Amino acid sequence: MPRLMDIGLEKLRNMVLDMADLSQNTVSTSIDAFVQGRDLRDRIYSWSEELRMLQDEVSELAVELIARYQPVASDLRFIKSCMEVAYGFSRFGRYAHDISDVVGIFGDLSNCDRQTIQEAGSQAKDMIRVSIKAFTERDVELAGRLKKMDDVVDNIYLDFVKKSALEREGNLKCIVSGTLILRYLERIADHATYVGETVPYIVSGERAARK
Amino acid sequence: MSNYSMRRFKDRLALWIGALCAVLAMIPLISILYEVVKNGASTINVDFLTAAPGVIGQAGGGIGPAIQGTLILVGLTIIIGVPLGVLSGIYLSEFGDNPVGRVIRFLNDVLAEFPSVVIGVVIFTLIVLTFRSFSVIAGALALSIIMLPIITRSTEESLKLVPNSIRDASMALGIRRWRTTLSVVLTTARSGVVTGILLAIARVAGESAPLVFTILGSQYFFSGLSSPMDALPLRIYRLALLPYPYAQAQGWGAALVLILMVLVVNIGVRWATRGRLYSRRSRP
Amino acid sequence: MTLVQTEKKQSLSSEGVVQPLKTLENSKVRTEDLNAWYGNNQVLKKLNIEAREHSVTAIIGPSGCGKSTFIRCLNRMHELVPKAKTSGRVILDGSDIYAKGVDPVTIRRRVGMVFQKPNPFPTMSVYDNVAAGLKLNGERNHAVLDRAVQRSLESAFLWDEVKGDLDKSGASLSGGQQQRLCIARALAVEPEVILMDEPCSALDPIATAKIEELIASIKENYTVVIVTHNMQQAARVSDFTAFLYLGQLIEYGETTSLFENPAEELTERYLTGKFG
Repeated sequence: MPRLMDIGLEKLRNMVLDMADLSQNTVSTSIDAFVQGRDLRDRIYSWSEELRMLQDEVSELAVELIARYQPVASDLRFIKSCMEVAYGFSRFGRYAHDISDVVGIFGDLSNCDRQTIQEAGSQAKDMIRVSIKAFTERDVELAGRLKKMDDVVDNIYLDFVKKSALEREGNLKCIVSGTLILRYLERIADHATYVGETVPYIVSGERAARK
Repeated sequence: MSNYSMRRFKDRLALWIGALCAVLAMIPLISILYEVVKNGASTINVDFLTAAPGVIGQAGGGIGPAIQGTLILVGLTIIIGVPLGVLSGIYLSEFGDNPVGRVIRFLNDVLAEFPSVVIGVVIFTLIVLTFRSFSVIAGALALSIIMLPIITRSTEESLKLVPNSIRDASMALGIRRWRTTLSVVLTTARSGVVTGILLAIARVAGESAPLVFTILGSQYFFSGLSSPMDALPLRIYRLALLPYPYAQAQGWGAALVLILMVLVVNIGVRWATRGRLYSRRSRP
Repeated sequence: MTLVQTEKKQSLSSEGVVQPLKTLENSKVRTEDLNAWYGNNQVLKKLNIEAREHSVTAIIGPSGCGKSTFIRCLNRMHELVPKAKTSGRVILDGSDIYAKGVDPVTIRRRVGMVFQKPNPFPTMSVYDNVAAGLKLNGERNHAVLDRAVQRSLESAFLWDEVKGDLDKSGASLSGGQQQRLCIARALAVEPEVILMDEPCSALDPIATAKIEELIASIKENYTVVIVTHNMQQAARVSDFTAFLYLGQLIEYGETTSLFENPAEELTERYLTGKFG
């Protein structure tokens, strides 16, 4: 027999999944836009704004459910995780916004090396996809893979920074824009791991150690 | 007639029938009181209440010994019957949920239905004949036997009305079983128990048949526990049978006195118990 | 079903038998393999539960799971019911209260109880009610009684409301006040453990809140075991929680972790309202 709270939980879940789809789209679009040299700032800005508003709604609904139904155990863990995950998705939107800003500020970057960024970008896109799938299906095993994937992105970023530090002469625009974008991608990857960490927490209350 | 007004009508009808029956039930009581007061009030004076009966056939004299006798008799009966009855009632209520208790309860109920004249005859045979005299003791014994089952039953019922949560609360404080029963359960039920005792006294004060066989009646004041004595019911009986008008008048007077005594006891104890419902702190 | 073992939790081992807690220091009262029957009907099955000193332990579970029977075994009130039986041990401060030769009355003076429906003695005043436990056990000294009455009423957060008229009948108070009166009465005999059998279920939310505050304040000086069918109350008030189902202990642990992350599937289902 469905409980009174289940209606609210269902609504919360749907809102979070909507955010998941939207944020995934937003990040993909911003990365692709950079790689292809297109300026899609308006679109990205409005999606990012929408993600911010959705995050507020998720937060409100979660608090309402807590106040009304005093949930415990797995319900409580689910609601708490939804708040965290929604925050993560809104950060995806923010970083996508920032990435598209780079294109706007630096203008033409067609002669920069976009290989590295493309690599990191596709890894980040993958991580978003994996984290959403793990959350939706409560797949602990799948979520466990995100740690390694995050290391890849971290290494790409660090290598680029180290290489740039040792450069005597190089295109300043390329270096700065590359660093910024890789930095945003690294943050996106981090948040994707945080989303993944909520899965074992919902399922069995295990909390991962923060690094 | 519509359904609703039919029901209202029936409702009103039931109310009126009930009220009518109540009034009808009051009529005998009111008429008796009226008759007694009308016929007996004029004979009441200090002399009447304190003097011994005079010579038969001559006006004068009083019902002094009868009043004294009733008071002594009822007093003795209370001393014998009340403790026994209350303790039996306590036993049956608190510890009587077993075969022995059930037998005692049954016997008690049987005793309550015994005709009082039979009890009088039994005591006559057992005590009066054995000791070869009519006596106050015999009368008190007979009346106690009549009183006992009434008090036992009413005490048991009153105690059973005390909810178990009270006993639980007391036991949970670490108060012993007997203390719980006496100081907590009995005090909670005390108005019911006292009412039962009152009813028994009223009933017993008016019994006349057993008195005939046990105290016989006499012209004199109390003269020892093992001698005959007078009592109001007997005196009323004797006076009513005499063909003299003075005797009739005295009989009415005696009846009035008896009724007044019962009323006073009733009202007096009720007043005393009501004061206790809002108890005082037991501090000087 | 994944079982999460933490050292603070007690859970079903692979044989389905509940293992006793490893940390037994400052345990005030604990049961060892406690069984209880009403006639032939067994209502408690091999319970091993502990209540730690100066803490509040809540016993939760659906109706009929044996919660009330359990606490009545802790002060030997269970045996007052005809045909009731127990087996196993209940250890209070290191000694078994069911041992041969132990007088149940002395146990009840150390382990007090408050009932579901407030039950002040109806013909006694507020003062007499609170003093009853002492007076009826022989205390005559009026100064001692006065002090005890005031102290208990203050601990029960009732002193200010009744100090003006201690002579008024116990039954003339409101429901919430009556229950606090019963708590004061239990506290007056200075027990070590206070058992509470759903003390708030007959009260309105404000009276309930007052009593919950009371519980939080007395736990510094007493050990409290509270039975409640209200899970939120258990979550608010207790430090440890035991979940009983059909007379068996399903799970026992610290309240915050039990409510956030129960180890047992059954506990999870009960807490989230999927049954009971």
